[in-house]
Amino acid sequence: MIVFPLKNKKQHRILMLALLRWRIHCEQPNKMALPAKLVASIKLFNGLPCGSLASRCTAVSPIMHQRTKSTYKLVSPDKPDMSWDGVTDRASDYMFMKELLQGMAITFGHIFKEPATINYPFEKGPLSPRFRGEHALRRYPSGEERCIACKLCEAICPAQAITIEAETRADGSRRTTRYDIDMTKCIYCGFCQEACPVDAIVEGPNFEYATETHEELLYNKEKLLNNGDMWEGEIAANIQAEHLYR
Amino acid sequence: MLGYRFLSKLKHVLRPRPTPSVGFARSQEAQAVANKLEVFIDDQKVVVDPGTTVLQACAMAGVEIPRFCYHDRLSVAGNCRMCLVEVEKSPKPVASCAMPVMNGMRVKTDSPVSRKAREGVMEFLLVNHPLDCPICDQGGECDLQDQSMAFGGDKSRFVDNEYTGKRAVEDKDIGPLVKTIMTRCIQCTRCVRFASEVAGVEDLGTTGRGNDMQIGTYVEKLFASELSGNVIDLCPVGALTGKPYAFTSRPWELRRVESIDVMDACGSNITIGMRSGEVMRIVPRVNEEINEEWICDKARFAIDGLSVQRLTSPMVKSPEGYLENCDWEDALFCAAEKITRAGAGNVAAVAGSLVDAESLVALRDFLHRLGSETLTVNSEHPSDHLVNDLRASYIFNSGIVSVEDADHVLFIGGNPRLDAPVLNARVRKCWIHNELEVSLIGQDVDLTYHHNHLGETLSTLEQLLDGSHAFAKTMYAAKRPLIIVNGKILCGENGSRVQDLALKLANKLSQQHAEDGWNVYNVLQTEASRVAALDLGYKSSSKSALTKQTKVLYLLGADDEVINRADLADDCFIIYQGHHGDRGAAIADLVLPGACYTEKNATYVNTEGRAQQTRQAATPPGLAREDWKIIRALSEICGVTLPYSSLSTARQRLCEVSPSFSRYGDQEEALFFQQVVSLSEDSSESGATNEKLTNDMKDLSHFYMTNSISRASRTMAKCVQAFKDKD
Amino acid sequence: MAKIATEGILAKLKKVKDIVKFNGGVWNSIVTLYRTDELKQGELVGEDKYGNKYYRNDEHIMGRNKWVVYSDKVGMNYDGSQVPAEWHRWLSDMTDTPPTVKPPLQHRWMIDHIENKTGTQQRYVPYSTTRAKIQSWQPPAPSK
Repeated sequence: MIVFPLKNKKQHRILMLALLRWRIHCEQPNKMALPAKLVASIKLFNGLPCGSLASRCTAVSPIMHQRTKSTYKLVSPDKPDMSWDGVTDRASDYMFMKELLQGMAITFGHIFKEPATINYPFEKGPLSPRFRGEHALRRYPSGEERCIACKLCEAICPAQAITIEAETRADGSRRTTRYDIDMTKCIYCGFCQEACPVDAIVEGPNFEYATETHEELLYNKEKLLNNGDMWEGEIAANIQAEHLYR
Repeated sequence: MLGYRFLSKLKHVLRPRPTPSVGFARSQEAQAVANKLEVFIDDQKVVVDPGTTVLQACAMAGVEIPRFCYHDRLSVAGNCRMCLVEVEKSPKPVASCAMPVMNGMRVKTDSPVSRKAREGVMEFLLVNHPLDCPICDQGGECDLQDQSMAFGGDKSRFVDNEYTGKRAVEDKDIGPLVKTIMTRCIQCTRCVRFASEVAGVEDLGTTGRGNDMQIGTYVEKLFASELSGNVIDLCPVGALTGKPYAFTSRPWELRRVESIDVMDACGSNITIGMRSGEVMRIVPRVNEEINEEWICDKARFAIDGLSVQRLTSPMVKSPEGYLENCDWEDALFCAAEKITRAGAGNVAAVAGSLVDAESLVALRDFLHRLGSETLTVNSEHPSDHLVNDLRASYIFNSGIVSVEDADHVLFIGGNPRLDAPVLNARVRKCWIHNELEVSLIGQDVDLTYHHNHLGETLSTLEQLLDGSHAFAKTMYAAKRPLIIVNGKILCGENGSRVQDLALKLANKLSQQHAEDGWNVYNVLQTEASRVAALDLGYKSSSKSALTKQTKVLYLLGADDEVINRADLADDCFIIYQGHHGDRGAAIADLVLPGACYTEKNATYVNTEGRAQQTRQAATPPGLAREDWKIIRALSEICGVTLPYSSLSTARQRLCEVSPSFSRYGDQEEALFFQQVVSLSEDSSESGATNEKLTNDMKDLSHFYMTNSISRASRTMAKCVQAFKDKD
Repeated sequence: MAKIATEGILAKLKKVKDIVKFNGGVWNSIVTLYRTDELKQGELVGEDKYGNKYYRNDEHIMGRNKWVVYSDKVGMNYDGSQVPAEWHRWLSDMTDTPPTVKPPLQHRWMIDHIENKTGTQQRYVPYSTTRAKIQSWQPPAPSK
């Protein structure tokens, strides 16, 4: 019997074949049971769908036995053809590196084909209008900042990335003096924009803000407002596009 | 006024006393046990006193009835209708806060009728309430928010999507402390009742009816009360919020630290709201024995002074006369050099009004080890004749809560309304409910309730003592009289005379008329550190420290006008240790930055002799350190190392000196009153009796800025300005 | 023969010739190839004010059918973050309507696009937007 740690699909096939043969030769199918050693080796074998095989083998009913017998096919090659033709064919394939060249030809052919990858940064993958990228603080069309320092985003933030301090502005309105987001803490869940009653904090479409240092990702209010002023065209268009679902 | 008082008494008959009375009232309660009523709250049997309201009975059964207008410490208004419950055999739901229980009453608090009634009330309230929770400071601690979540309906019938307009009310300007957003008001009238019943200023009221009802001052005017901040806590919605606190933080981001107020000597219990090392606000904490649930405006709003004018680095005076920042080593070595060079007897120390007991005991031990005995509190008193050797002579012996049982209170000097607002609120409560008579000797002031002004001079006291005063008869008829002597009067020019006469009067009252075990003589101290300092043996007159012999004067937070550079020798070296750059630091040659009361775990003893501790909410700014540690470090450099190096060992030392420090939160009863009286007789001076008792707290404008923290506070400055502009 | 011209090797060669021509000759094609790793031909949809050109050719699969050729001014220092907001939306396939057809909304407070400045002198450096929490006492001048 051929039952030992299996490494690849080929060995898997051999094992199945062996089982099949053994089963066919078995005189009394109902009493059939796998040798303990075989089951153990199957259990050892984790990578391939052997679990199903093992269960199929151990819980064998007569009907199962009938069905499996017709299902399995011998797929591994028979003994090599030892006729003259066969031997010379194999020899020439080996000598002229036929398989290697075939592979290279396929590689060469792909030069002229449309690649499956995109050529970033010239081409960019599609984004959803709901994409949650870099944060921005928005303004009203009048230029007044939207944020009213209600601190709901700070409260909901599961990563506690947002820090807000607020006070009364000279005109008596409620405004933040500090609106910091630690972009390295942020998990980009989007809860902040969900929580915001005035659509002030949003996660914009920009994701190209990677930095070389950690501190550059500790955004403050000024930076977030600048982001808003820069991306407002796209942010507004995206919110407009999604207004039916909000 | 009399009519109101009569009505209040009627109300009082209808409902039990909100606070359980102690001592003498217990016997009355025992009689009431016999006729108790049996009610059923959600089929749960509760036995209650007659006169209990349905709402209180529900609370006893553990059922919380939603309410807006009802408050334990205010009279019943019954106008919000949120507390409607179904009562069996009653055709309509009843307002549980105003309904006295009847025997066998069956209340259903969670029946469909009750729930529907609440939903309906809530819907009506919300129809006229703006949807501005995101910018409302009450958000997160709003009764309306919470109760609409818990008891409100689950859908809206509000269809005014075109914004034709909701009810809106103009905001009122009632001063620099309380911000009003009257559109949010639900007309529960808690603030109106607080103002007229507790604060005693009938400034707030309602105008209009129905949908046009408004809370306001009718004409624009200042809500001039020393307790005005409490309406912020009382307001169930965001109509009245703190003006200095406006928009700064949310209740959910505050860390709550339970601490003690040091702005007056009552030791009101407070909760400090702290966020990221910054004190955001202070709210009262319930302590029935001291402040019930009120605190004065100075305690609540002076906190912005904690972040300005701070001493953040040690400073030493340069040869040119400028105070320049230096590091701790330089400062301590400089101080040690001066102290050791000065010689044993020439070092004196004066303790200020905000100093904690740990640093007081450290300074005391430090000076004793140096061989100096000159430790004094900040006081103008000219001589050492004041009897302060025994505790009974300088604490509020009978306890603040004893006002509830008293039948006559005699204030000697000062203005109790501004020196101890929470005590005055309690006196006012008892004046309304308990037939309490109040009389005052000294400059007449507005105490918010009717009082007999007996006279302004010492001779009044003498006349009372010998019975020749017209009021003496009433006075001696009292069964449980209280004499409350203002601590500042004792520190003043005539201090020992006042003490002598007051002690004699107290002795006469307690021996001849009062019930046994009733403490008549009480001192109302006005500085948070005073009782601890006297407990630790500090002398009650600064005179001995301010002599020309003094070579080094150690000011431990002493900022008062008592200390003058002119009284001292020219070469006297002044070390100031404290937290604010105020009068003390301005005259100092060396400044050691300490921590203020929100920045240390420290012990304070209130006027009753009750030791309480503050808890650290923030860290001392910059290079500032806890005060007792500074003295400990200095002692080590001076070569007289103090034998404690941790807070617990410092407290052990405190307990060694005076056992009263060992029990936090409890009032230690002071003994030996008779000995105090005889000591006083021994040391009594004779003098002119027609001198007036001085009083520096004439009106509210004197109340706001009394110590280094409140003098630094912008809010307090605005209050003073607003009060001055009022007229 | 006709089949070779339309589908076979000749068609491919013609396409190469077209692409080279589209890219401005052999030399320019080599330069472009060096710069962008790819030679493509497509319809010029528009150009933004920074000089970036946007092309579209739907013969390519989605994701490759829109592309940007960064402004010559930036040379080899092209970066994904140089695409301004209005074209970003089109380039990222959130819409097929380019800003040349439907101009984005404009407010006077909106600012020009700034590319990612990390690694340069103009990079963002965080700072506090609040006042100091503690104000120290300033001792008065000596009175003499």
